[in-house]
Amino acid sequence: MAAPLWRRGLTAAPWTRGSFSWLLSCSRAIQTTAVCHKNRAARVRVGKGDKPVTYEQAHPPHYIAHRKGWLSLHTSNLDGEGGAAERTVEDVFIRKFIYGTFHGCLANEIVLKRRANVLVVCAVFLQRLPPYKFYFLVGYTETLLSFLYKCPVRLEVQTVPEKVIYKYL
Amino acid sequence: MVPVAHPAPEPWAAGCPGSRLAKGRWGGLGTFPVNYSSRDMPKQYRFLLNKDLLWVQFSGFHTDLHHHKDNSLISISDEPDTLYRKLSVLVKGHDKTVLDSYEYFAVLAAKELGISIEKIHEPPRKIERFTLLKSIHIFKKHRVQYEMRTHYRCLELKHLTGSTADVYLEYIQRNLPEGVAMEIKKTKLEKLPEHIQKPIWDKLPSVEETATGALETGH
Repeated sequence: MAAPLWRRGLTAAPWTRGSFSWLLSCSRAIQTTAVCHKNRAARVRVGKGDKPVTYEQAHPPHYIAHRKGWLSLHTSNLDGEGGAAERTVEDVFIRKFIYGTFHGCLANEIVLKRRANVLVVCAVFLQRLPPYKFYFLVGYTETLLSFLYKCPVRLEVQTVPEKVIYKYL
Repeated sequence: MVPVAHPAPEPWAAGCPGSRLAKGRWGGLGTFPVNYSSRDMPKQYRFLLNKDLLWVQFSGFHTDLHHHKDNSLISISDEPDTLYRKLSVLVKGHDKTVLDSYEYFAVLAAKELGISIEKIHEPPRKIERFTLLKSIHIFKKHRVQYEMRTHYRCLELKHLTGSTADVYLEYIQRNLPEGVAMEIKKTKLEKLPEHIQKPIWDKLPSVEETATGALETGH
């Protein structure tokens, strides 16, 4: 069975089929079968084998409680707890902020932990900057984020000479 | 007079792991016997395992009894301490292994403080699932399903005093891991109020007599 196609432009009216079929064959079409709708969420698609990929990126999201851990740990997604939207927005902001402050230095995704009042940001950086610059940026981030979110923010930093490659896809 | 211990600021001051204060043999320099099982012992002391009792010296540890009066953490008040028949600690989290390790920690802390544990059970998990459309526009037949799993663990303790409960709960809560929430239910024991301590039916006949007396006079 031929894959169903949505035709844009010329509509296939019955009287045109016989005489103008060569015109119809060069119209545009969008494939709409289910076979083509593969999941692309949080996955790195397999390529030629030259793309380096970390452990976090290599595993798709259905491995989350099995081979992967969580990147953001808070209680608002538990049964009967509230504030999920606020925590998510804060998380997105913090990730973008740190990605921008330590531009090009992030080896892996940031892990955010919320323990009582304290927000702990765990990050793994590449050794692309001299240490005194790292110290300054860490202090700057901590102070700015604590003033922004009115809670103590701690940045726990680990540096690595290069990105840890899990496999090549 | 009941000494009420205020919860200590450092969580590890609530009870040194393995120390048995009831032994009553305090050395003047702060040495005291430590009973460790081989599993709980920290690695640096494993070489001393051949003896049953270890004499471990901790420097800077106050053992002088007179110090309690100067100690601002402990206060003595005249009110009787509240009593709890049952203290129920329910922890919930996304990760079952985290709850397992937290349960081990809470049970260990309770045993060190001498709290009797009634039971530890695991209520069944709850899964919240929802189905959303996969695409932002049309494609109604293609959906994505998400779920959020909440695992529970319930620890029930019995026969606690108010100060013990405060200290234990403060210690437990300061060491709650991230991503784990806790709910506490306390069942308090209260003394029966004075006006219902004795049954009323002892006094009822006198009431009836006056009523009959009133009826007779009414005639």
